[in-house]
Amino acid sequence: MMNQIIKESATEETLSVEIFNPKEIMSTADEGKEQQGRSDHWQVRTQEQPYAFLPDHVLTPDEVAIENRYGKRIDLVELTDKPKNRSLFINENPEVGSNPNRNKQHGFFFTADNCIGCHACESACSEKNDNPAHLAFRSVGYVEGGSYPDYKRMNISMACNHCDDPVCLKGCPTRAYTKHAEYGAVLQDPETCFGCGYCTWVCPYNAPQLDPVKGRVSKCNMCVDRLEVGLKPACVSACVGNALDFGVIENTPENRQQCKTSIPGFPDPDITHPNIRFQQVKDLPDEMTRTDGMPVKYHKDKQGNYKPVIDQKAGVRKSWNFARLNSRENPLVLFTLFAQAALGSFAIPFIGALFGMEAFTRFVDSALFLPLTIIALLMTSFALLMSVTHLGKPMRFYRGFNNLRYSPMAREGFGLAMFSAGCGLTALFSLPSNAWVVDFAQHLLGLDLIYLSQGLPLKSIVTGTGLFTLISGAAGLFYMNKCYQIKARPFWNHIQTATAFVGNSLSLGALVSGVIVLGTLLAMDIAIEKAMLVFASLFTLGLVIEALGLIIHNHDLNRSDNEGGAAHYVQCTTFGKTYLLRNSLLTLNIIAAITLLSLQLSGFNSTTLLLPWLALALLNCVTALIGRALFYILVIPTTMPGAFFWKNKSFEEHARDTGLADNPATGVAPLAH
Amino acid sequence: MLFGRKNRKPISIPNKKVKEWHYTTCNYCSTGCSIEIGLNEEKKIVTTRGHAGADVNRGKLCIKGLLEHELFDSVGRGTEPLMRDQHFEEFKETSWQQALDTSAEKIKAIQQQYGRDAFAIVSSGQLLTEEFYTLGKLARGCIGTNQYDGNTTLCMASAVSGYKRSFGSDGPPGCYDDFEHTHCLMAFGSNLPEQHPIIYWRLKEALEKRKFPLIVVDPRVTMLAQFADIHLPITPGTDCVLINSMMHVIINEELQDQAYIDAHTQGFDDIKALVQEYNPKSAQHVCGIDEDTIRSVARLYAKAPAAMSIWTMGINQSTHGSDGVANINNLNLITGNIGKKGGTSLSITGQCNAMGTREWSSCSGLPGYRYLENPEDRQDIADFWGIDAEFFPKKRGLQQTDIFSAIETGEIKGMWLVATNPMTSMPNTGRIRKILEKLDFLIVQDVYSDVETNQYSHVYFPASVWSEKEGCHTNTERRVNLISKIMPCYANSKPDLWIFNEMAKRFDNGRQIHFPENAEDVFDEMKHLSRGKNAYGEKRTLDISGMSYEKIVKARGIQWPYSQEMDGSLQGEPRLYTDGKFQTANGRANLIPVNFYNNNEQPCQDYPFWLNSGRVVEHFHTRTRTGKIGNCNKFSPTPYMEMNPDAAKALGVKHQSYVRLTSRRGDSVVMVQLTQRVPRNMVFVPFHYHDCVNRLTLGLLDPYSRQPAFKQCSVRIEVLDNAQQVEAAQLNVERREF
Repeated sequence: MMNQIIKESATEETLSVEIFNPKEIMSTADEGKEQQGRSDHWQVRTQEQPYAFLPDHVLTPDEVAIENRYGKRIDLVELTDKPKNRSLFINENPEVGSNPNRNKQHGFFFTADNCIGCHACESACSEKNDNPAHLAFRSVGYVEGGSYPDYKRMNISMACNHCDDPVCLKGCPTRAYTKHAEYGAVLQDPETCFGCGYCTWVCPYNAPQLDPVKGRVSKCNMCVDRLEVGLKPACVSACVGNALDFGVIENTPENRQQCKTSIPGFPDPDITHPNIRFQQVKDLPDEMTRTDGMPVKYHKDKQGNYKPVIDQKAGVRKSWNFARLNSRENPLVLFTLFAQAALGSFAIPFIGALFGMEAFTRFVDSALFLPLTIIALLMTSFALLMSVTHLGKPMRFYRGFNNLRYSPMAREGFGLAMFSAGCGLTALFSLPSNAWVVDFAQHLLGLDLIYLSQGLPLKSIVTGTGLFTLISGAAGLFYMNKCYQIKARPFWNHIQTATAFVGNSLSLGALVSGVIVLGTLLAMDIAIEKAMLVFASLFTLGLVIEALGLIIHNHDLNRSDNEGGAAHYVQCTTFGKTYLLRNSLLTLNIIAAITLLSLQLSGFNSTTLLLPWLALALLNCVTALIGRALFYILVIPTTMPGAFFWKNKSFEEHARDTGLADNPATGVAPLAH
Repeated sequence: MLFGRKNRKPISIPNKKVKEWHYTTCNYCSTGCSIEIGLNEEKKIVTTRGHAGADVNRGKLCIKGLLEHELFDSVGRGTEPLMRDQHFEEFKETSWQQALDTSAEKIKAIQQQYGRDAFAIVSSGQLLTEEFYTLGKLARGCIGTNQYDGNTTLCMASAVSGYKRSFGSDGPPGCYDDFEHTHCLMAFGSNLPEQHPIIYWRLKEALEKRKFPLIVVDPRVTMLAQFADIHLPITPGTDCVLINSMMHVIINEELQDQAYIDAHTQGFDDIKALVQEYNPKSAQHVCGIDEDTIRSVARLYAKAPAAMSIWTMGINQSTHGSDGVANINNLNLITGNIGKKGGTSLSITGQCNAMGTREWSSCSGLPGYRYLENPEDRQDIADFWGIDAEFFPKKRGLQQTDIFSAIETGEIKGMWLVATNPMTSMPNTGRIRKILEKLDFLIVQDVYSDVETNQYSHVYFPASVWSEKEGCHTNTERRVNLISKIMPCYANSKPDLWIFNEMAKRFDNGRQIHFPENAEDVFDEMKHLSRGKNAYGEKRTLDISGMSYEKIVKARGIQWPYSQEMDGSLQGEPRLYTDGKFQTANGRANLIPVNFYNNNEQPCQDYPFWLNSGRVVEHFHTRTRTGKIGNCNKFSPTPYMEMNPDAAKALGVKHQSYVRLTSRRGDSVVMVQLTQRVPRNMVFVPFHYHDCVNRLTLGLLDPYSRQPAFKQCSVRIEVLDNAQQVEAAQLNVERREF
């Protein structure tokens, strides 16, 4: 269409404006007709310029590849069985977009050599999307290197990369995300989102934005309304450095020579196969640093690629920073610890009974098995409640199971919910066998539970529901671990997460169930030695598993140069003393446990050892609490480099601490939780 | 869909529901971008967008323009006129009638007691041209004070002065289109990507079409310096030495355009003699650029078929500001690079309408580049306004910086500040505080009642802003463009034109002179005054007589000169002096020998760092507007200082900690940003923040332009311990009302 207009105007008598005649681009007759032949999703500006338009013809096979470099088809209709001309129903508008290439995977093209860091893309985006100051779908950060005057800064403008493998979509428990066959856009519906923020954990580029004020996530929508009329996204159209462009993926724009998948500061594209391509031909210093607080810089390897390495920004001094353990992730600390404790508490005696160990079978048959299941139920319920309070929109908690197909978080939640249900059922069917409850029901409610449950194979049912509980709990624990095995968070993406979770299930579970079971046995005057040996061994095993994981974690991360290594560096410096305290406590616990265990095995009176064991198990709660708080506070995601104020976690923290954040124009939202 | 559920999630994208688009021009910098304002059905402003058909910006806007619609109802806007007897008392709301009456009486009383010149008026580069012209009429024709100037003395005075000394008249001779034709561009102390992003884009577009060498002179490695083919990290304040030694090379190697020099200039022999003292061998030790580079750059510039220079505050804000401009003009005159495509001396102006105030405000003389010193010009204007020519002073009075000194010495007793905030923008603000406290009577007329200077005023006039009024701007390339009235005036604020007209009614001459109510009627007066010939019998360059608001909007801005004869086209003259005729007595341009002397405060043992200041893209001037727009402000919400990491290591200064800067004037607390962008002996602090860098600056005045040297003084850095860090943070919060 543009070519046609230029041709037309050439034949027209135009005013003799020498420098720039808008009419050379669009004749007067066409003024006001910019919308002609285009759908109505977006109003095209009067005399819109060529830089804003996408090609308005169907790209020929010469102009577009069949597959992208990862082997994925670029024509997305061919990947689905859906018809071509489906409406996107943007704002319920049924009109089908007029863009002839709407079914091809599109992506941004960023010429890093050209970006001047002028914020035009960011503000055009925020303006169009009505985003408040503390939230942005596109952000510009930078890396810098060299020494004066041989100094280079490279600005990086980054939004969503609408990945081939959208980990956000897969991770989202509510199914708020859709990857559309139109443009390959990965769009998210804030109205579905319940604000768990899991997508912000898994995305390596920090594209989904959790708004602490509104309590929900929103993100770059690729300006599909503009795309539908054949215009490039607002950020691209606004770029004044000629750095940002947009088009069908793998197409190198005119005037550009390179089309690569990474630049210094950009996370490993293998994680998600992002739909962004770069040109960066100007030589940069071997080492590029970040101005934000992240202890990461980038070093050029032999292949010329820049890899993250640790930047010892905080020096090597070890500090406590104990107060900072108290963070907005507190609910998750409690959620995981209580859930794990509940699993262990139920599993240990129940499995013991399944194996036919006398002390445990007698306990399961006793009146106190019911309270144990109820305690396990209460602990899981409390844990789930904690996880719900962590949501931006807690009242939408029920949406947490919408994406069982992909989301480990949905499965984790589902597993734990089933575990709770299992505990509940086990408790329910234990009621008629519980003398106290039967008595209580009879006298106060006039209910004859024994009569009501006559003919029911109660024992088998309880075993059945117990098994169900056990399996659900195990699945919950498995997916709880899976939730944290995230490539974008190398500090978590390690076996240590699993060992900590399993270890704590054992050690905390042994404490809770040990107190109840041994208490019961003592009251029933049953010998506790064997049972106590089981609890003591499992407790010790839990500690050892946790410790082994930590040793491997420490070993691996000490040799790691990525964000995991950086997180470990923070662990060893900013939280160095706290980390040491936790490790010392754990070591002490293990030594004490082994000592007690040896004493027990050497025939020491078990009853006299009960108190030391109890003290030790309680001390372990403190150890576990510190450990879990560290786990959350330390993680460093593979995000894009920030700027000095904007997208700088250290400045945000400073602004919140000092009260600068109280002014909304500072762009740092006070934390809601 | 490829993943997700069968029934796709609804897609909702904010829709501004614009019902009408209105044409206007941006109100921030001097680039002069055309903007369309979008109103919804309820006539509420919902968005701004660049006008794609405008030559200047071709649809692009910078961050400030993109968010400009948010400024109309931002916090701190003045709603009602305010009054008080003493500056330490509480303000009381009053009526316009009362505020204007009291002000007029006070002005008259001061003038009666201490003389006409005991009352000063300082305006701005922010008003509309019609308002400047009207204020000039009021100040020169009615109030009759000679102490009348604009805050352009802080930014453009050196360019004006340099242009006048070289070419006989103000007015940048080039245009943005020169980027498309030049073969070498040299930028002196100009950081386009940060200061003028849209001009940068025009340059980038030209460079992508056709590569040409870019030379950047800047002590800091700005993005432009980084993108330059040759970056000259000059020692602050020594541009004249660099240019002189370049001319040494050019003249001694006979690379100059002798034909042009002979035909259109005078004073070449003086230049030739002077530059012999600036051999690159010795000059390199002063300006910090090695002799080989000086030679190479000089040859590159002289041999280019067309070469152009641009500059901004790096030149203007120094003790050699006017000389620096004259010297850039020298360089371009001897290489024949004036008035031709791609060959020019293009000053990149600061404020949106700095040009408007230069042309029409009468600050430096009389409207339309007329001089008070010229009897015919005085008569001309007196006749046109209908007053006695003797009412005018015969010589220009004090400039803004000297007005403040005259308050200090007690000569000036009262002042009217229009759209300027000297409490943040003047050098050595500690001194400015004392000066403002001394005033018997101060009127502050501003869009914002929380503008810091208002704490010393007796009367506050709430002014309307941007598209709440109608009138013109002139941009850096002499393009006159229209601000349309689209919005109702905020609360009880009034357009500046209305305020001036009302004030005029309260003076004797004001009842004789015609003060049109309508902006376009004022424009017609200016058109009339722009016709004809100047004092030397040459055609006026500043000719807008062919323009009308309708034509301006149709053309999205018209460059002057645009005379009535050019009526057929909507195109003004893109360049001045294409015929080699200048606005001097003999029509020749002056080659002015510029001798370097060093009167800057230098880094020393006590104050070992150069202090450099400048702009960031997200803020405008003293942040009265951008500091309240979160999506601008968030990119630099508090003051900071760029410091070299090696220097920081030696002092024990940490990244993102606070330090105390001290100079011989005062102190300031800033947050440290370590970067190799600055040399070891220099720090850079943005100037936008209240109670920050200008507590430290010296601001020695240029002998010609009286512009302060904001960019050359020295400071010491004091490290703060942990307890002091907390106090510094507290202080930082307290000083940031916006």
